[in-house]
Amino acid sequence: MTLQSLLSKEFVFLDGGMGTMLHLSAGEIPEQLCLTEPERVAAVHRAYVDAGSEIFMACTFGANRIKLQGTGLDAVECVKAAIAIAKKEAGDSALVALDVGPTGQLLQPAGTLTFEDAYDAYREVMTAAEAAGADLIAIETMSDLLETKAAVLAAKENTKLPVLCTMTFMENGRTFTGCPISAAALTLEGLGVDAIGINCSLGPQEVLPLMKELSAWTTLPLIAKPNAGLPDPVTGDYHVSPQEFAEVLSQYAEIGVQFMGGCCGSTPDYIRALRSALSTKTRDRSPRQVPKAVCSGTRTVRLDMPRVIGERINPTGKKRMKQALLDGDMDYLRGEAISQTEAGADILDVNVGTPGIDEAAVLPQAVQAICEVTDLPLQLDSSDPAALEAALRIYAGKPIINSVCGKEASLQAILPLVKHYGAAIVGLTLDEDGIPETADARFAIGKNILERAESLGISKENVYLDCLTLTASTGSGAADTTLSALRRVHEELGLETVLGVSNISFGLPNRPLINRTFLAMALTSGLTLPILNPMAADMMDTVRAYRMLAGYDENCADYIAAYQDTTAVPAAPTAEKSAQTLENAVAHGLKQEAAELTKAELDKGTQPLDIVNQMLIPALDTVGDGYEKGKLFLPQLLQAATAAQSAFAVLKANMSAENSGDKGKIVLATVQGDVHDIGKNIVKLLLENYGFTVIDLGRDVPPQTIVDAAVSHQVSLVGLSALMTTTVGAMEETIALLHQQYPTCKTVVGGAVLTADYAEKIGADCYAKDAKATVDYARTVYGEV
Amino acid sequence: MMRPEDFNRASILRELGVTNTDAALSQIMSDMIATLCKVAWPRTIWRIYPLTWEKSLCLGDVPLPGKDIAAHLKGCTQAAVLAVTLSSAVDTIIRRFQATDMTKALFLDAIASEACEHLCEDVEKQVRARTDKPFLTARFSAGYGDFPLSTQSGLLRLLDAERKIGLTATDRQLLLPMKSVTAIIGLSDSPVHDARKYVCGVNCTGCPRYDTCRSRVTR
Repeated sequence: MTLQSLLSKEFVFLDGGMGTMLHLSAGEIPEQLCLTEPERVAAVHRAYVDAGSEIFMACTFGANRIKLQGTGLDAVECVKAAIAIAKKEAGDSALVALDVGPTGQLLQPAGTLTFEDAYDAYREVMTAAEAAGADLIAIETMSDLLETKAAVLAAKENTKLPVLCTMTFMENGRTFTGCPISAAALTLEGLGVDAIGINCSLGPQEVLPLMKELSAWTTLPLIAKPNAGLPDPVTGDYHVSPQEFAEVLSQYAEIGVQFMGGCCGSTPDYIRALRSALSTKTRDRSPRQVPKAVCSGTRTVRLDMPRVIGERINPTGKKRMKQALLDGDMDYLRGEAISQTEAGADILDVNVGTPGIDEAAVLPQAVQAICEVTDLPLQLDSSDPAALEAALRIYAGKPIINSVCGKEASLQAILPLVKHYGAAIVGLTLDEDGIPETADARFAIGKNILERAESLGISKENVYLDCLTLTASTGSGAADTTLSALRRVHEELGLETVLGVSNISFGLPNRPLINRTFLAMALTSGLTLPILNPMAADMMDTVRAYRMLAGYDENCADYIAAYQDTTAVPAAPTAEKSAQTLENAVAHGLKQEAAELTKAELDKGTQPLDIVNQMLIPALDTVGDGYEKGKLFLPQLLQAATAAQSAFAVLKANMSAENSGDKGKIVLATVQGDVHDIGKNIVKLLLENYGFTVIDLGRDVPPQTIVDAAVSHQVSLVGLSALMTTTVGAMEETIALLHQQYPTCKTVVGGAVLTADYAEKIGADCYAKDAKATVDYARTVYGEV
Repeated sequence: MMRPEDFNRASILRELGVTNTDAALSQIMSDMIATLCKVAWPRTIWRIYPLTWEKSLCLGDVPLPGKDIAAHLKGCTQAAVLAVTLSSAVDTIIRRFQATDMTKALFLDAIASEACEHLCEDVEKQVRARTDKPFLTARFSAGYGDFPLSTQSGLLRLLDAERKIGLTATDRQLLLPMKSVTAIIGLSDSPVHDARKYVCGVNCTGCPRYDTCRSRVTR
């Protein structure tokens, strides 16, 4: 018996719950029983084989070294024993699956576990299971799409076993980590699993609509393993009987579900009832067509209308972005991601390629930072295959890769990555001979890219072509060549089309006019994925108007929502504004006014440093005083700080590095094991207000990383934050390490559970009761006061 | 789902240390409450287990170490263990606001804590409705007094919380998603005790958060 032979059957019957059947007593771990009482586990398998299960799960759900940490159990030993027990009971009548559950830890950025640690934990048990004779791998009860990806990649890259994969969804059609059904399906099918489904979480009635949704997003065989209802909080019993369970599940046949079994609360009786209920049924086999789409781990974007790819995260021609990348200032990238998201972008391009940057190291970092603040799908933009692969591994979702071109070397390096990671690809219509001058030649290269992609099993739906915009000033007909090629690609090949729009106006006056006109022309010619600056309102206006006019915007709803207020623009209260001073705007937390007034001061010729020292700092001091006297509160202090920050952003653009008024560098970190970092971020904001350069190492930072950063930046002060009694230990460790390796450096500590006494005990130089106190101490250390 | 009218605005302000608010702050508060209601997908779970007092105190098979929890549960033969979480979408949105508007992030953070409190109260009502014990203790959480945080993972296991509501603990026993709470409520046939030494206003002297606690300052 093989999975292939089972796939030819109408239905494939799985097993039901393991935990309930084992009748665990206090403190018993199911995986341990495989080593100590194999007969108890064997009896459960036997009962399921007798009930007619054709695939059953070895008792390995929690058998990974992360989950078993602290139990003294070795995951590999548990797996070997469990597979041996299962194989013996299966004989020739059933297949044995290595049951793979979550690690129990959340992956970064939500949690502290790294992708590679999760991958390694899965890899070792999967290779052991294959060696022990497992027939397949069943990844189950997953909630985090990235963790699921780690498990699937571990299986696909290290074993030859087929992979079944099921995730757990809530009534709202999302997993606990917010992954929608569509994103799970797009990502997992892309990664090459053999069947996909839903298990656990809810009863059969509640899972039914979720399965329907899933069937719309995948062509793979479908798996359903619901719970036997919900557990009673007092008795722990599940409320759906075997008969009810089987009756509802037989409706699943109508949506084409082929693999059926049960999860929590189900027993061999449920499988027996299921077999009998389905004995006369047939499953729906009508072909399924998956909508064209890309996704992040939390959002799916259908390509059913022109979608905007935001181009701002790219250092080419952007000094500030280049500097941010060189400084490792991920907050700047986060800010660009947020503003493009808010401006209405659908997808974000991420490019970190600039001299002095190790793209393979920085691209994944940037992707992770961006995913913390936006749910938009990403387009990974690099010419370095190693950088692309590093980012593809840790990306939860189905991204776009930008790009491959018609050059042989590019096709050979990039297309296998697209296939392996289930991404979509942008093909540039250029080759060894450069960019062809004719539309026909560009079309031909595009067609060749498509054929090469298809030959590797990449579907046509996932190939997008870029017919390349050349600047209109280079010669007549440049725009027409691009648009003719684009039209043919769209109409004859039926592909999505990508175009960086603003190149067209390079070197010409009034670029916005050319850009938006060309955009409208391109959209009409079949452009579906314009790459543009979403912050340019006229470009977004053009896209919205086009969507409305071309019939993509039902009842003009999006258009009206975006513009209904524009007719009623209030007259600018000029008199009031001119009376406003920068100090006042900062003190009252008026973000926009602060930025505008700063611009006005610069226009008047006031020196940036004078603006800082004579206006911003005094305003912040006034607010700080009010805060210390209890007249103002933290939210108001932060409002002022945020307003000052927007003033600084304006100044930064007008100050040279030497003349930035830098008061000194400070390393800040939330210590290892701690993920609560709002306090640290508040401190950072205030320090930056007072002219300090903060090297923010983020949260969950190992002691050595903190010391290394302090040494390499030669800072005089390190600020550490810890929020929990369990993590102040890491703070103590970090201080000790600093004393050892960089004894001249001072430390300031803060966090809810800390006290002055405790700070002294662990060797900190200063205990800061709040963010303001940290600033005061920093000013002392750097000799300002 | 959570509703804006469920929020105790005074308590949120207290948490933030704000004693007199202004129109701007009120508006931020309203906006952030609405934001939270939109993104949170609150999940709760609870179970009742027997308490055993031989040798050491255990809830089901999970030991409950420390003098404080023992004093708190004195006389109880059962306890409800509960967990609530607002889902990781809330952590994400708080993080996002930290990058754009720290004041909003601060409000959202406090509002989320208040929402957890509200969810706990809801669960407590459910427990009260289902138990036949007439006396319930106040909620007691890991980390109070000498009841160690290391109990966290045991409590999650009793609830199968990872699978049922997506709540996990890191190896340092931090709950993730961050805006989550676990607690124990003792159930008894006779009047109960309250051993929450340092929990807001019960007894401030000696509290480890004495210096920073806003509740103490404003009381």
